Amino acid sequence: MVTLKMILNGQEVSVDVEPGDLLADVFRDKLGLIGTKISCGEGECGACTVLVDGKAVDSCIYPALKVQGREVITIEGLGQDNRLDAIQQAFVDKTAPQCGYCIPGMVISAKALLDENPHPTRKEIEKRISGNLCRCTGYYQIIEAIELAAERLAGKGGLE
Amino acid sequence: MSKKVVGESVPKIDAATKVRGQRKFPQDFNMKGQLYAKVVWSEYPHARVLKIDVSPAEALPGVVAILTSEDVPVNEYGIDIVDQPVLVGEGEKVRWLGDRIAIVIAESERIAQEARQLVRVEYEPLPVVSDPREAMKPDAPLIHEERGDSNILKYIKIRKGDIEKGFAEADVVIESYYLTPHVEHAYMQPEAGVGYIDKEGRVTVIAAAQWSHDDLHQISHMLDLPIDQLREIVPAIGGAFGGREDMYIQHLLALCAYCVRQPVKMVFDREESVMRTGKRHPYYIRYRTGATRDGKLTAVEIELISDAGAYASTSIPVLSNTASFAAGPYVVPNAKVDAYTVYTNNAVAMAMRGFGSTQPAFAYEMQMNKLAEALGVDPVELRMKNLLEDGSIALTGNPMPTGVGIKETLRQSALAAGWKEENGGWIKPDLGPPSAPYRRRGIGVACGYKNVGYSFGFDDKSKVIVELALDESGEIARALVKLGASDQGMGAHTALAQIAAEALGVDYEKVRVALVDTSMVPNAGSCSASRHVYMSGNAVIRACQEVLRKREAALRDEIGEKRVVGEYEYRGRSVRPTTPYDPETGMCDPHISYGYATQIALLEVDVETGETEVLKVWAAQDVGKAINPEMVKGQAGGGVHMGLGYALTEEFIQKEGLVKTRRFSEYHIPTVADMSREFIPLIVEVPDPTGPFGAKGVGEMTTLPTAPAIISAIHDAVGVWIDNLPATAEKVWRAMQGRA
Repeated sequence: MVTLKMILNGQEVSVDVEPGDLLADVFRDKLGLIGTKISCGEGECGACTVLVDGKAVDSCIYPALKVQGREVITIEGLGQDNRLDAIQQAFVDKTAPQCGYCIPGMVISAKALLDENPHPTRKEIEKRISGNLCRCTGYYQIIEAIELAAERLAGKGGLE
Repeated sequence: MSKKVVGESVPKIDAATKVRGQRKFPQDFNMKGQLYAKVVWSEYPHARVLKIDVSPAEALPGVVAILTSEDVPVNEYGIDIVDQPVLVGEGEKVRWLGDRIAIVIAESERIAQEARQLVRVEYEPLPVVSDPREAMKPDAPLIHEERGDSNILKYIKIRKGDIEKGFAEADVVIESYYLTPHVEHAYMQPEAGVGYIDKEGRVTVIAAAQWSHDDLHQISHMLDLPIDQLREIVPAIGGAFGGREDMYIQHLLALCAYCVRQPVKMVFDREESVMRTGKRHPYYIRYRTGATRDGKLTAVEIELISDAGAYASTSIPVLSNTASFAAGPYVVPNAKVDAYTVYTNNAVAMAMRGFGSTQPAFAYEMQMNKLAEALGVDPVELRMKNLLEDGSIALTGNPMPTGVGIKETLRQSALAAGWKEENGGWIKPDLGPPSAPYRRRGIGVACGYKNVGYSFGFDDKSKVIVELALDESGEIARALVKLGASDQGMGAHTALAQIAAEALGVDYEKVRVALVDTSMVPNAGSCSASRHVYMSGNAVIRACQEVLRKREAALRDEIGEKRVVGEYEYRGRSVRPTTPYDPETGMCDPHISYGYATQIALLEVDVETGETEVLKVWAAQDVGKAINPEMVKGQAGGGVHMGLGYALTEEFIQKEGLVKTRRFSEYHIPTVADMSREFIPLIVEVPDPTGPFGAKGVGEMTTLPTAPAIISAIHDAVGVWIDNLPATAEKVWRAMQGRA
């Protein structure tokens, strides 16, 4: 066992892991953070997307110890108390979630995009979520939700 | 006074918890002291099991139990025909890769994983039958010797009018042979769950399921336990699309809990979910269509052969559906249909979005577009001359019930896509120049229709309980709708809450829908056949009326009731009794209600690579009444996604019963980059007078026209017909070389 320390959703967290443990498993099995989903187990579908130092990574194939000392954000780190953040709210308003299994990963990918590029074109949105598979929606309302979030954030001067 | 709810795009009832990642799916459940289970799968598509040696696995520290066929009280199950072993024992046969030899239960998932690899199984390989056309031959090796001397599971025939006369009257005859492939449901949430013994001693399963009450019937048979000693709980479901209509994990979890009396968790990885569970049926379709010079259909002759795979699953009802829709939404006076479903050693084929209506839609719409070309008539105009209307006589001899909206979906989508209607004729739009000199532009149109609810005399019923909590002044504080309808993501619970709010005259926010727990909610039938808005919506309205009457009585009597309960069981046969096929003619009144759709695809094909880019899809669906328009658009988007994958990207490859495409990196469901650049959903509302607020169903119809619209647009662009899905870049390129 090795002690892994990271800033997780703004809080310092320390957890004992095996050297081979994958980040998604650490969240789900050791920290009780079930919002990070595992779907393909090979980094193809993006359901497990989290942010490591602001960059979107597939946590189902990402060695947990690679986040030693780094800043990590999972879906649980968005929004405050009972309030949704702007991206989450836009997903609700655009009826973007159907089954919802891909949605935490989609929201995190959208956050990575909007943090970096607050005024993305439709093509840029498509590019950034092209690693996130969804079987329910055809992606159309997800794209609309990200556009809406960008629009609302621009009106408010950026992410909260 | 409450605001209007039906017809409004209210937020989905579960959306906020889903975007927060708080909604629990089956893999998110953990119980104190839980064990972990893994399946030992068949290594052969067809073989006799000679010897099973579990001792090396048993010797591994941390292994708690290894279940084999002897541990199953009644070792058989099946949703329609009971032909599947739960676990295959020594001396018995495996018939596909999804058969199971044993279940290893251990203290950790890693130990279970390691132990399952230590179970040694000796097999005697048997000849593999992987093509249903070969399997139909009298000398083919039998998959199920116990079920007679043929692999043909079911044959259905329809004989309408005079087929000879019909073709004699035809000026043009189009003949083609179509192949539609296996399709993986590819729901994002792999099979998972927990089995345990609850406080009342019931064998309990937490899993994703489309019809929990039916699962319990099957588990009851398997464990030889009465239903009241069983329980199934369905939390959030990560998609289903028909793939959770059969049991793939529910019965295994029940068996584990029953045997070890401790909580047992099991999670399939993606490879197991793709390789070891059911698929949409492949069909081999021979199709002849005859029409007069002025575009009137005179006859169709259709042979349909479906690959059922190793076990029956719902192959017979799927085939029944296919046959009834084989001629498409058209008036065809003379018809001959021969439909077969056949056992093979391929993946078990089962329900998937369309339930047998998707495959014929590809064939009949390709035929219509080929016919339009042969006649030199616009494809919209040709359809308008032949489409069904209220009271038209369908293929099975029945008059179509009121609410046939197919023409309206075609009219609206054609106008939106730029068609012009002039003097009863239709003129195709100018598509403009392609975006690059090496690209060609094309447009294609297709229609489709499908039943809502169960068919062919099956007694479709949905039972609903509505509970009201009244405040001190007798006003409704909260309403709870209880029914055994799981919401696999499409929004059934939201739609039913909207219907309840409207029927009760309360705000939507006051209505909750209980999660499915068979110990708490009544049987509402399966979450399939696009049926819950129609069937359960009708039940909800009537249960609400009942509970409002009780509330009035309670207030009148001043008995101080704080809680009133109403219930209603809605039966499809109360409005439209359906009938089974006549064995000789096939005549019947097959379905309760119908939904209709038309789609138009605009695309470009790269002539150097054969690659297709879909630019725009217009998708019109007649839903009778859109309970929640944004949810209808979501269904349309999802339908187009699956249809586009069917048309272009999804190729489930099996060779001699072995699976070559095991993961998402090998089986390609469309990414956002594969989807159409633009999407124009059109909601058409031609009411079904028997539906709640006129509503029909929507989930399945939205995927029927996509593939034929896209494939016909490819033809429009580059002049080749791809009759064998999917139209991969290579296939299109090769077809173009062949033509040159």
